[in-house]
Amino acid sequence: MQLLDIRNLTIELRTEDGVIRAVDKVNLSLKEGEVHALVGESGSGKSLIAKAIVGVLNSRWTVTADRMHWQGVDLMRLSAEKRRKIVSKDMAMIYQEPSRSLDPTAKIFEQVAESLPEKTFKKGFFSRNSERKEKVKALLHKVGIREHVKVASSYPHELSEGVCQKVMIAMAIARNPKLLIADEPTTALESTTRAQIFRLLKSLNQLKNMSILMISHELEEITHWSHAMHVLYCGQMVEAGPTQKVFYEPLHPYTQALVKSLPDYAQGLAHKEPFYALKGTIPPLQHLPIGCRLGPRCPQAQKQCVVTPLQNKSHGHAYACHFPLFKDKQKCNQS
Amino acid sequence: MQPVLKVQALSKSFRSRAGIFKRKHIQVLREISFAVGPGETLAIIGETGSGKSTLAKLLAGADHADCGQILLDGKTIEDDGVRQNQCRHIRMIFQDPTRSLNPGITIGDMLDDCLKYNTGLTSLQRNKKIKITLSRVGLLSEHYEYYPHMFSGGQLQRVALARALILDPKVVVLDEALSSLDPSVRAQTVNLLLQLQKESGLSFILITHHLSLVKHMSDQLLVLSRGKVVEYGNTASIFAQPKSKVTQRLLNV
Repeated sequence: MQLLDIRNLTIELRTEDGVIRAVDKVNLSLKEGEVHALVGESGSGKSLIAKAIVGVLNSRWTVTADRMHWQGVDLMRLSAEKRRKIVSKDMAMIYQEPSRSLDPTAKIFEQVAESLPEKTFKKGFFSRNSERKEKVKALLHKVGIREHVKVASSYPHELSEGVCQKVMIAMAIARNPKLLIADEPTTALESTTRAQIFRLLKSLNQLKNMSILMISHELEEITHWSHAMHVLYCGQMVEAGPTQKVFYEPLHPYTQALVKSLPDYAQGLAHKEPFYALKGTIPPLQHLPIGCRLGPRCPQAQKQCVVTPLQNKSHGHAYACHFPLFKDKQKCNQS
Repeated sequence: MQPVLKVQALSKSFRSRAGIFKRKHIQVLREISFAVGPGETLAIIGETGSGKSTLAKLLAGADHADCGQILLDGKTIEDDGVRQNQCRHIRMIFQDPTRSLNPGITIGDMLDDCLKYNTGLTSLQRNKKIKITLSRVGLLSEHYEYYPHMFSGGQLQRVALARALILDPKVVVLDEALSSLDPSVRAQTVNLLLQLQKESGLSFILITHHLSLVKHMSDQLLVLSRGKVVEYGNTASIFAQPKSKVTQRLLNV
């Protein structure tokens, strides 16, 4: 069953110089127990999509969507209160910089205890306190923090970034959400802690059947265990589909450039030889090109590219390009 | 071939309070020695707290060593913590370009300051030099009047590179300078660095967590653990046959 089904999500920002379309008609659907990756460079609107799903964007942004279904319920048509109830019950989000998103004035114990829902307490009112302590301890153990006493009684600034991130995950899974949105959970961390966090998220996905929407700009880390991948460029979904297919047979020039810019996967690249990189830089949101937003940087761009390409789909592999990069083999089969 | 940069038995310790009268000594670097030839890249890897960033600071002259020498082109520039006042031959690029540039002054002024305080050039010569350097890193001369907030992250890293290159250094220290960039911007920056190295024989000291980049860019590899050199040698041979346990663990992740 589809857990999350979003069609034509558009996020706009009203400014003095007119309306800026930060996210343009993005489709996304997620089944139960799947790990999806949302890949794109900074400023491509990944975090905006995540925030729009959870509904924490402020009133300057206008969010429109043809449909935004959560288990069959359209979130866009619910009242704010009902929507918040559903979101708080079923979804949880991990933010980018853990040490900044935790409350600096409260101890870890208080913060984790606050995120425990009332319903989980089974014993009577008078044993509430001891039960709360037990629960916090169990949560901290679950995310791989061994010294729970020391961590629970310290403030966020006393802990390392990796431990803070684990605390954030503990708070997120306290309600047993069905969907966990992880917004660049590992950018601030170094390789060994990074591997730990990935292992933790992976085990949550496998043991509890939790769906995860991973947002990242590091391609190589998530390719090994995500089921599907969505590639964004400047707010447009350029390619989406099963990870292996997107990664090894990219149809969009941008995805190809992303894959080729990884030293491990660029084939036949000699030591110290230049990488394949697209020319130019990402345009700022105020000066977006019309049509396909990759247009000015694209090596295959032609006259047609000033018209926004529609999303084509074949075998669950969607792409938005007028001139997709089909392999020769496929061309032979078609003709 | 004479090495550009030679480091001999460099040590560094920090003092911190452990009581009212007691002081605790923490040895951060212990007898580090290495040599970098012209046009070579030395990569330094290690866990957090292994002293990588301290070493970078010592090389760039932001901090003084306790004992040991740093030799540049055969001349001693730091001897047992006494530093010759020359910051123009070893330059450093920091991790986050958005935070390491002064937001209050234009790019041109920033580069001009570097020249003003380190060289005896006239203002006409300085202007010419700035224009040449900007075009060398792939920026336009119009960017002279721009403020840092008008650039994107990748362009800012180019500005940081321009600031490092404007004094014609022999060695550039990159302290995690590539890890905060987006993949395609990183590819562009790496291409630029490699091209500069080819053209002008610059030497790089690359400090990073990114192993695939280390493999691609570096000629020599230095593995640090708790301030000690665990392994030092040719990158390809260390990747093929890591000898110590620390290296094996680092390369496996």
